[in-house]
Order: sequence, then C-alpha cells, then structure tokens
Amino acid sequence: MMRRPSGGPARTMAVAHKGKEKKAKAEGGTRALADTERALRLSEAQLRSVVETVPDAIIVIDERGLIQSFSPAAERLFGFRETQVLGRNVNMLMPSPYREQHDGYLERYLRTGERRIIGIGRVVVGQRADGSTFPMELAVGEIRHEGRKLFTGFVRDITERQTTRERLHELQAELLRASRLSSMGQMASALAHELNQPLTAVINYVQACRRLLAAGGTPSERLQETMDKAVSQASRAGQIIHRMRQFIQKSETERQVESINTLIEEASALALVGAKESGILVRLELSPDLPPVLVDRIQIQQVVLNLVRNSVEALAGASRRELTIRTYEANGHMVEVAVADTGPGLDEAVAKQLFQPFITTKLKGMGLGLSISRSIIDAHGGRLWAVPGAASGVSFQFTLPRAEGPG
Amino acid sequence: MSEAPRIFVVDDDEAVGDSLQLLLQSAGFPRIVVYASAREFLAEAQPSPGECLLLDVRMPDMDGLELQEELNRRGFKLPVIIMTGHGDVPIAVRAMKAGASDFLEKAFSDELLLDCVRRARAHAAETLRERDEANEIKRRIETLTPRERDVLRGMIAGRPNKLIAHELGISPRTVEIHRARVMDKMEARSLSALVRMALAAGIDAS
Repeated sequence: MMRRPSGGPARTMAVAHKGKEKKAKAEGGTRALADTERALRLSEAQLRSVVETVPDAIIVIDERGLIQSFSPAAERLFGFRETQVLGRNVNMLMPSPYREQHDGYLERYLRTGERRIIGIGRVVVGQRADGSTFPMELAVGEIRHEGRKLFTGFVRDITERQTTRERLHELQAELLRASRLSSMGQMASALAHELNQPLTAVINYVQACRRLLAAGGTPSERLQETMDKAVSQASRAGQIIHRMRQFIQKSETERQVESINTLIEEASALALVGAKESGILVRLELSPDLPPVLVDRIQIQQVVLNLVRNSVEALAGASRRELTIRTYEANGHMVEVAVADTGPGLDEAVAKQLFQPFITTKLKGMGLGLSISRSIIDAHGGRLWAVPGAASGVSFQFTLPRAEGPG
Repeated sequence: MSEAPRIFVVDDDEAVGDSLQLLLQSAGFPRIVVYASAREFLAEAQPSPGECLLLDVRMPDMDGLELQEELNRRGFKLPVIIMTGHGDVPIAVRAMKAGASDFLEKAFSDELLLDCVRRARAHAAETLRERDEANEIKRRIETLTPRERDVLRGMIAGRPNKLIAHELGISPRTVEIHRARVMDKMEARSLSALVRMALAAGIDAS
C-alpha cells in the first residue's frame, strides 16, 4: 500500500500493447486506460498526502520485519531519516527485551496465524535514534499483495503531546483505579471502616469486664451478659468478612479468556515508563506456549503494574539495577508470573507484614497495594507470595489457573 | 449541682455506644449518656459546664464535624473528643482545628480512651473553675462605686496616684483612700493580683 508503485505504469503499458492488435478498440481503450491511470495517480496522490500529514507515524514492514516505508511523522517521532531505515529490521525501533523477541513474534504469526498485535492494537515501548524510550500506542494492519504479506504499523507517541499525555494518564489511571474505585479498593476501605465498629465494641466490652472483675462485687450475671455482648459483636465482625467474601466471588462476571503474556506486556510497558532512563535493565522472559487464563484483565494488570512499580522503586538506590519479568507454566494447571528485582530485598520485619493492609514502608503509601493485589489473585483462584531473589532483591510471584476447555 | 458531671457519647452504632457506656462506668465515671445521633444530642442533652462529649465523626444525618460547628455556634464550650475510623485522619485534623480537644482512632485501647476522657474532664473542670473565678471577680467589681471603678482602671493601667488624681480631678489623698477600698473590696493582696483578676474578668484599663 505504501510502496512507491513503480509497477503501476508497466501494467498500463502491457495492456496498451494488447491494444495494438485490435485498432478498432484501441482509441476508446487508450482513453479508458488514461482515465484509469489518472484515477490511480489521483488516489495515490491522495494517499500520499494522507500519509504525509497524518499525525500518526506509519511504518510498513515485510514478512521478515524489514522496513519498506517510513512516513514523515515516523521520521519526526523516531529521529531517523527514511533513507537510514529502509531495508533494516524494524526491531531497531524497539528497546530490549522487545528487540530480541520481535522476529520470533513475526515468525510465529506467519507459521501459526496467532495474532498478538495485528488487528488488535496495544501499548508498547519504542526507542528513538538517541536511545531514549517512550510508550506508544501501536495498531497494525495486514496487507496481502501478490502472495506477499506486508504489515502497516500506525504509531502514536503517547507521551509526546499534551492530549496524548492525557491518554497515558488515562491508561495508568485505569490500572490504578483498583485502589480507589474498583470493587477491591472500595472493599478494602469499607472493610476497614466496618470492621472497626464491632472491634471497638468488643474491646470495650472485654475491658469493661476486666475492670469489673478486678474491682469485685459485680454480680456474675452482669459479667456474663457483657461477655455475651462481646461475643455477638465479634461474630458481627465475622459476618462482615463473610459478606465481603461473597461479594468478591460475585465479581467473576467480568472475566474473559486472555493471553497472560499480552496482559504482562501491556502493563509493564506502562509501569516501565522512565525505567530505562533511570538505568534499569529490564528483561521480559515470556514463555511462548502458555495456555490462556480466565481473568479480569484490568485487575490482573493492576497487580502487575503494582509489582513492577514496587520493583522500580526498590531499584532506585541499588547498585545493580535489573528487573526480570517471567511467565512460565507451573504445576497443577497453573500459569506463573514472577517479577524479580536486584534491589535491597526485604528485611524480616517487613516480610512478615508484607500483605497486611495499611502497613507501608513508603512515605506516601497507603499500604494497600500488596494487600489488594493478593485479594485480586486469591479471588482468581491463584496465589501471590514473595521469595528472596537468587543473588539479591526479591521476587514476587503469582499463579493463575489456566482457562478451562479449548481456547 | 452536686451530681457528677456527665460524659455524653454520640455514636450511631448501638454496640459502640453501649460498650463505651459500660467501659466508662466500669472505670469510675457514673453518669454516661448515650445518643444515637447528633440531632438527639442537640435536642436533649443540655450540656452544663464541666461536662464532655465523645463524638463519632462518621454518622448519617449530621456528622460529627457539623455537630461540633453547631455547638460552637450555640456557644457551648464543652470539650469534644472525636472518634474516627482508619483513614479519617484528615477529618480528625479538621475537627481539631475546629476546637476538638482530642481524637481517638477506632479501635482504641481502654487506657487511651480513659486518658483522653480524663484530660477532657480536667480541661472542662479548669474552664469551669476559670468561669467561676471570673464570675466571682465580676461580683466583686459590682460592689465598687463608680469612682472606685475609675480608680481601678487607672491602677491596672499602671498610672501613679498623682496622674490618676489629675485625670479624675480629685486630690492624690482621695485617690489613696479609694485605692485602699478597691484593694479591700476586690480582696486583692497586691497590685499584680488585682491586674490578674481584671484580666480574668475581661476588664481593661480604658
């Protein structure tokens, strides 16, 4: 579609050659051909003007990933001239670890037809000529032309302009929403408040009893009555928890069959904005043949975002700054995800209270991230835990059950 | 009022109110009155000086902060202890700025609660004592003659007898006599005691 159609006129000439044989039709035919050619040139010019003016960068690659066309917007966005990139592998526009994986994705698509990006569109990370990275929204279309396949990528830098910056915030907010708006976040805060009431009453009743016992002279019926009240308030607290648990189970309706790798890539592209600039080496080791999972996409991405953000923060002061995100199959029909960093790790006191709500080591933290993450993973029938890293740091790991049945 | 001052509890949670009543009574505060809403409290409590209020911040209808504002508007000066849940800290800060004497985060221990209540009671007793003192001083001032009051104003402004005499158009000797009577009627042993009394009663030199 984007290639300079040097083949256009040749085709016209071949038809014109045929025209020589039957002179009678030749004149009318030539006129018709000239009209067609004019129309073709017009639509090509229109197309070209669209390509040159549309704010999205447009990049066309072939089956091997080699760049066939690079629009002016792409030149501006990536900082390369078209002449510098034509015929080169498109993975030069991606940072590691995506760079190393792209050929594999392309090859896999051609072999199996499994779509990871084509016709779907997603947020990925791009790398400019100067080495800096930026999050971008990528939509890919596929063209079949004379038995070959071409892929057209439409790229929008979502950090570049003010309007698109808002889009980035929107995406981040969408993922972070769970701590405020999603059922989980609301629940955590409602739970804290609602549980406080009966717990306050239990403590008051029990301590009143202690005081009355210590002072002596209170009839035992009075003490028993007070203890009964404490018991009934404690079971009221239990009922609140029970109700909340039912509520979590009800929220399964928004779950869909998803590819865990796609979820991870999108969430980490957002979470890793700026990570390269702070000198963090990121490795994505996503096992290619994982079965799909049945999950609430936003919730699981929120967990990933949270874990990756925590790791990035933990790496801020570390001498070795490496972050590895892995997916792999685990026992018992589970898929496992690990987010490991080489940060300072967890001391014992912190490790013990890691998943308790409202306990935080961060200055501005609410201490809800990990407790919400764990509730989300629990609600999906998985498990979230932390283990010390191989050499240093910490590895957060969670499992999700694979989706049942085919697909 | 020979009866012990009351402690009011306003909480929409029946169990919290009931258990607080029991706990406070077991700790030696005999008169606890529990209300389930701010409106009930306003309609029925008629708080007297020396009493205090334990107030839950989150309630339907009228919340703790609104009640506090209403009490301020009506001129009730009773100490208010705000009870909050987790994460209500910004609300608690607002309450403190509006004059709450303390705040407790639920679920609290009995020692923390009792400390707060004792402090509030001491504070209430102190304001009560100050108010009584101010009333007594005002009563004493009532017994002064207009001329003696003029002399009192001159005295607390720190003016010498001669200047007071000049301003009032009387002799320094007469000022001295008035002065002795003022000290006597005000039961002030020294000039500094007299100045302190005048301050407590809200009288200035002008």
